[in-house]
Formats: sequence, C-alpha cells, structure tokens
Amino acid sequence: MKFKKVMALSMAAVMAASLAACGSSDTTDTQTTGAETAETTEATEATETTEDSASADGSLQYKDVVLGETGTDITTTIKVLSHRTDMLTDDYNGTSWADYVAAFNEQYPGITVEIEGITDYANDALLRLQGEDWGDIMMIPAVTKADLATYFMSYGTEEDVSALVNYTTNWTYNGEVYGIPTTANAQGIVYNKRVFEEAGVTELPKTPEEFIAALQAVKDYDSSIVPLYTNYAANWTLGAWDAYISGGATGLSSWTNDSLIHGSNPFADPGDGTGAYNVYKILYDAVAAGLTEDDFSTTDWESSKTMINNGEIATMVLGSWAVPQMQGAGENADDIGYMPFPITVDGKQYAAAGPDYNFGINVNSDDTNKLASLIFVKWMTEESGFSYNEGGLPIAADDTNVPDIYQAFTDAGVTYVVDDPAIEGEEDLMNELNSESSLNINNGGNDKVAAIIEDASTQSRTFDEIMEEWNATWTEAQEIVGVTVNE
Amino acid sequence: MSKIQSFFKSKKGQRALIIVGFSIIPLILLLVFTYYPFLEMIKFSFYNMRYAGARKFVGFKNYITLFNKREIAGSLVLSLYYMVGAVIQISIALYLATILSMKVRMGGLFKGLIFFPFLINGIAIGFIFKFFYTRGFVLDTVLSWIGFNMETLPYWLKDQAINNWSLVYSSFWKYLGQNMVLFIGAIMSVDAALYEAAELDGANKFQQFRYIILPSIKTIVTLNIILSITGSLSAFEAPYVITSGNNGTGTFFVVMNKIAHTDQKVGLASAMAVFLLVVILICTLIQKLLFKYIFRNANTDDESLKAKKAREKEAKAKLKAIKAEQKALKAAKGGN
Repeated sequence: MKFKKVMALSMAAVMAASLAACGSSDTTDTQTTGAETAETTEATEATETTEDSASADGSLQYKDVVLGETGTDITTTIKVLSHRTDMLTDDYNGTSWADYVAAFNEQYPGITVEIEGITDYANDALLRLQGEDWGDIMMIPAVTKADLATYFMSYGTEEDVSALVNYTTNWTYNGEVYGIPTTANAQGIVYNKRVFEEAGVTELPKTPEEFIAALQAVKDYDSSIVPLYTNYAANWTLGAWDAYISGGATGLSSWTNDSLIHGSNPFADPGDGTGAYNVYKILYDAVAAGLTEDDFSTTDWESSKTMINNGEIATMVLGSWAVPQMQGAGENADDIGYMPFPITVDGKQYAAAGPDYNFGINVNSDDTNKLASLIFVKWMTEESGFSYNEGGLPIAADDTNVPDIYQAFTDAGVTYVVDDPAIEGEEDLMNELNSESSLNINNGGNDKVAAIIEDASTQSRTFDEIMEEWNATWTEAQEIVGVTVNE
Repeated sequence: MSKIQSFFKSKKGQRALIIVGFSIIPLILLLVFTYYPFLEMIKFSFYNMRYAGARKFVGFKNYITLFNKREIAGSLVLSLYYMVGAVIQISIALYLATILSMKVRMGGLFKGLIFFPFLINGIAIGFIFKFFYTRGFVLDTVLSWIGFNMETLPYWLKDQAINNWSLVYSSFWKYLGQNMVLFIGAIMSVDAALYEAAELDGANKFQQFRYIILPSIKTIVTLNIILSITGSLSAFEAPYVITSGNNGTGTFFVVMNKIAHTDQKVGLASAMAVFLLVVILICTLIQKLLFKYIFRNANTDDESLKAKKAREKEAKAKLKAIKAEQKALKAAKGGN
C-alpha cells in the first residue's frame, strides 16, 4: 500500500514537472550589455532628475530630449523587444544589436539595454502586449489605433514630432504620435543590372509599355532567363503588388485613405497609364505574354534569391527590404539593383515610401525607464545610423544620408510619397472595406493577385473583366459599410 | 447533519460520491473546452464581426451569404474529388489488407513501407509533393525515364484540369497506410476456423472475403468511411501547403481559413463551420443507412429478413410493455 502511495505521489510530481516545462518559453533569447547593477540610491536620484527634465504638464516629450545632455546621470535597465533576431547573432554581417548598444553606452553608460529577440514577432508581440510587464520598448505590432494610448506613451503632438521625424503617420492617433519608425522603405522593383545591360536595356523603363518591352528584350536576349519572377507559389510575395498602387502610381499622398476609400470604381482605367489599374495590368500583361516563369505553381522563394543573384531572373516586384537578401544570396551582390516602379504621372516618377516597424514605449513603465527609453529611441533615430545601415530611407528629418540602393531613384528624380494618415474618424474604414470586399488591399490580399496570374495564364478572363469585378465588390463593400462615395 | 453524513457513509452515498468525483473533472473540461466554445461559435455565426471591434447581430445573413458566394460553393464541389479519392483509397487499402493478412513473403516489410507515409507530418508531405510535382523535378524525371516526352507532360499543379487530382493523390499517399493497418488489425481478429470451414465448403478466396471478412470487419469499414468522408470535407493540409488554395484548389477549410483570418469575417467563417458540421452529420447519416441496407443480411444467419424484423418488433413491444409497467409501479409508489 505504502509503495503504491509513493508511486502515485511521484507520478503526480513528474506530471506537474512536465506541465511546468511546457510553460517555459524557449523561443526567446536575451542579451545583456553594459552595466549590470542599478543600486537603489542611484535609482532614487535618477527619479529626481527625471522630474526636472519632464515638461510642465509632467509628460515626457521627444522634442525635449537633447542627446548627451538629458538624463546623462540616469542609471537603469531598459528592455527592448525586437523582431530582428538575426541582429542578435554573432555572424550577422551588418551592425548587430550588441554594436549599437555598445555605442549607446559610450554616451549613456548608466543605461543598460537588454534586447530580446522574438522569432514570430507579429503574433508573439501582440500576446506579450496583453501582459503589462513586457519591457520598455517594443516594435509596435498590429494594434487598433484607438488602443494605442493604453499601451504606449505619446512622444508628443503630431506637429512637434513630425518636425523632427519622418514617416510618423502610421501610429498617429488624435494628434499624438505613439511610434517612431526604426527605418523606412520605398517601393520599387528589384532587378539584375547585369542582365538588363546585356539585354540592351540601357535606360530604366519609366512606363508600363517600356517595362514590358524591357522584359521582352531580356527574353529575346536569352530565353532561359526569367524576365519577371512572380513568386506565385510563396503566395505572400504577391501581396507586395498592393504597395505600388497608392502614391507610387498616382503621386497622391491622399490616395489610400481618400481616393481608394471614397472613390467610385478606384480600379477603373484612368487612361493615362497610371493608377492601380495599370499596376496590376503590368502583371497580367507579363504573364499573358509569357514573360514570367514557365510553371508559376511551383516557384520557390528561397532559390529565387540565388537565381536573381546569378542572373537567371531579371526582375522581381518586391519592397526594398528584399534587396539585402538578394545581394546576400550569391556572389554577385553588385548586380542587384533597385529601380522605381515604371509608372510616370505627368512626366514625373513617384515612389510610395513608408515606415517599417515603429518603436513604442511602454506607458506603464516608471518615469526613469520612460526617459531612458525615450533617450534610446532618439539616439537610435538620430545617431545610430540604424536606418542607413539597414538600407532604409532617413528617419530623422534633417538626415539626408540615402543608401546606395536608392541611387536609381535619385537619378530618376523620384519623389517619395508618404500616405496621409486616415481621415479623422475613419481610422477603421479601410479594414472594414477590406473585410467586406475580400480584396484585402495591403492586408495580405495575396489571392486576388494570384487570380490575376491564373487568369492571365489560362486567358479565362480579360484584365478588364477582373478589374470590373474588383470595382463591383469594392462598390458593394462601400455600400455595406456605408461610405460616402465621391463621384 | 447526521443524515447527510450517514448518506455519504452509506454504500449508495459512497457510490454517488465516487461517480461524481471521478466524472466531474473530465466533464468540466469537456464542457469548458469543447461545448462552450462550440456554442460560442454558433453564436458568432449570427453576428457580423471581426476579431476586434464592435459586433452586429445580423440573424441568418451569414448563412445566406454562404450559399450565394461562388467561392464557397466551388470549394464544396472540390470535396467530391477528395471523396472519390477516399473511395479508391479505402478499396485499395482493403485489398492490400486482405492480401497482407494472408501468408505473404516479406509481408511485414510491405506493411511497414505502406504505413510509413502516415508517420510523416502533413506539412512535410506538402513540401515533398511540391517538389515532386515541380516542372522537370521528380515526377517528370521518373516519367521521362520510362519513355514519356518531357514536352508533352502536363503541368501537374498549374493545369486546372488535373491539379486537384495531384493534390488528392498526396493525401491518398498519406492515408492509405493508416486505413490498411486498421483493416489488417480487424481482419486479424477474425476466427481462423471460419476460413477452414469455408474452404471445406468449397468457398474460394473472394467468397471468403465477401462472406467472412467483410461482414466481420464492417465496423472498421464504416469507421474508415466516416473518417474519410469527414476528411474529404475538411481537406486542408495538401491544398494549403502545396498550392495555398490558389488556382482552383481552395477546399472548404482553406477558404474558411482565408475568410476567418485574411478577410476577418469571423461571423461568416463560423457559419461555414456550423454548415460543415451539418453536412458531415448528413453524410454520416446517409452512409449509416446505406450500410444498414448493405449489411442487412450479415447477422441474420438462417432466419429471413422478415422474420428478423418481426422478432425485433416483438422485442420492442415487450420492452415498451415492461417500461409502462415500471412507470405504473413508480406512480403507485409515489401515491403512497
């Protein structure tokens, strides 16, 4: 009997232990750099200094922080959640988190920065956000704008912050800015410079016709080269096409949040080679003319990187984030170029530009950590060179250092267009329209782009028929949601 | 107080205590984690809602949309491909199981080889078949070895006329072994003396299969068919991993996933789930009735069907009479 009892007890213990093991997380890794200890006395001192530097109404502001002056005597530890797990590894070939933190600690030796990398960031960050002590700084995940203030500290008013920082519109709500972008990207086309040169395309195409002609030239030069690789099978890559239809194809910063939401039939042909219609038409025409891969249903994302690097693919329509990956996928990093999307509006080319993840500061952190976080964010923006190092457009307003990959944009005199923030009171309309219409513009609507490729390949529908259907579902969604449509 | 105490000390009380004690935890788990979410889902299906934001009650509108949406109707038709695949799969599994349960040289090896695919993770199988069907890769190469001209071979995943069959084959490849092993297990339990007796009576192998094996394993056959039909209606892994549900391969589950997660129409997706449940219930019912008809002779031995029915009726009538009697007794007791 006794033996049985002991057995039962030990079994229970084992089971409890195994349950506990399930709970522990093994996907995250923490890295600590700089000063490890924060003594209580120093901490209280720090709190006093915080009060000094806070503005009159007691809140901290981005504009009030002067790097090298504000809070140099703070001693604390701040924790940053980052999606860039690759920057935590030793073999990262750019500037790693450790390098940034070390440079930061030269100026602010008292502020210890812990970086925690999260692999499945978009999902995990949302979960972490629900528990309040996730840390001090995180890359703002997809939260509802109305909830911003419950999670994140305001950096100040829109007016104050946008004078110092570019691309702040994404996380601006009720006139307050809650996110400072880590870096920003412009939308263009990844291409292989060598292939274009060898195929006799000396001038970068500026219109859809010129682009198709360039693709044809590549095919005529060597039919084994894929002129435009769709990456159809990977599926998520197709959603990239949505990024070109706004400012890049129209030159209007108000397109997404006004012309698209309130426009009647936004996918109709404007007749001048611009607009959403002509963006998707490039894809349809390229597939119909056989200028894409032979069997789109079995494309492979990973090997496509090597193929474009080796000159087996001429172009891919992807954001600038893809450029470093394509460069790193083989020995011909110099062959990879980035060119503006071939649409010209009134003789001028535009490129949609927008922020990557934004730094958000935990509203529940204590004042010392809030100030330290604010300092770190401002330092990352103004002094770290992070955006430049990662191939992004400048974030600080007075920064003019544009990375080399945008050379073709500079040469073509491209104007960068940033989407206006949603019209006040309409912050959620885009989501509702996307949901009702199932088009999911810039929201994972890969299937509709896949359908363009399928239809172009089988010729089961003409391009105009597809666009008519889109217009019809969009109009229907506008009616259901109750959006006023401008004629 | 003492009354309660004595109740718990009595045999009856102890028994009740143990029954409640043992069943309360699984029951709570079942209610909280199965039935409560299920009821919530039914509730959601009457709302127009996204994961976040306000919910709006819309009545049966989601169910109406369900029938009007071309995408959804089309996805149900796709299930037919998988059902045809399932029928072929079960027939072949039954055939192989019958052969392998007789004395076959290296039978164990064959069983192992056929069962092996079932052990592979469905996502991995998706990737295997993605490369298997890629133009100029595995399948095309093998076919060119045996004399097919590469140029005339179809595009296995691009051609909408055959891509669904390509996908059905991948799930056929995976589940064949599992079906077969279940059948072998059932066939093993058949009394070997029956075969001997049948052989003495001059029955050939097919007759043995028809009249001994099949009736003995009909429960497993039924189970496999129910599982396959349910599986056909809820085919997900192959189309999701191999083609992402594009190019006319979006099955009901893939479409539901898209509607729930990309479109964020949680209400409509819930309605789809409820609808699928009803369809599966109906399919199971039809299949049950069909089997009742097919195996109507199985347990009758010598007596004719009519006689059996008559006897059943009699038994039922008896049961009713007994129940009525009991009721009357109880009523009488209550009166006292």
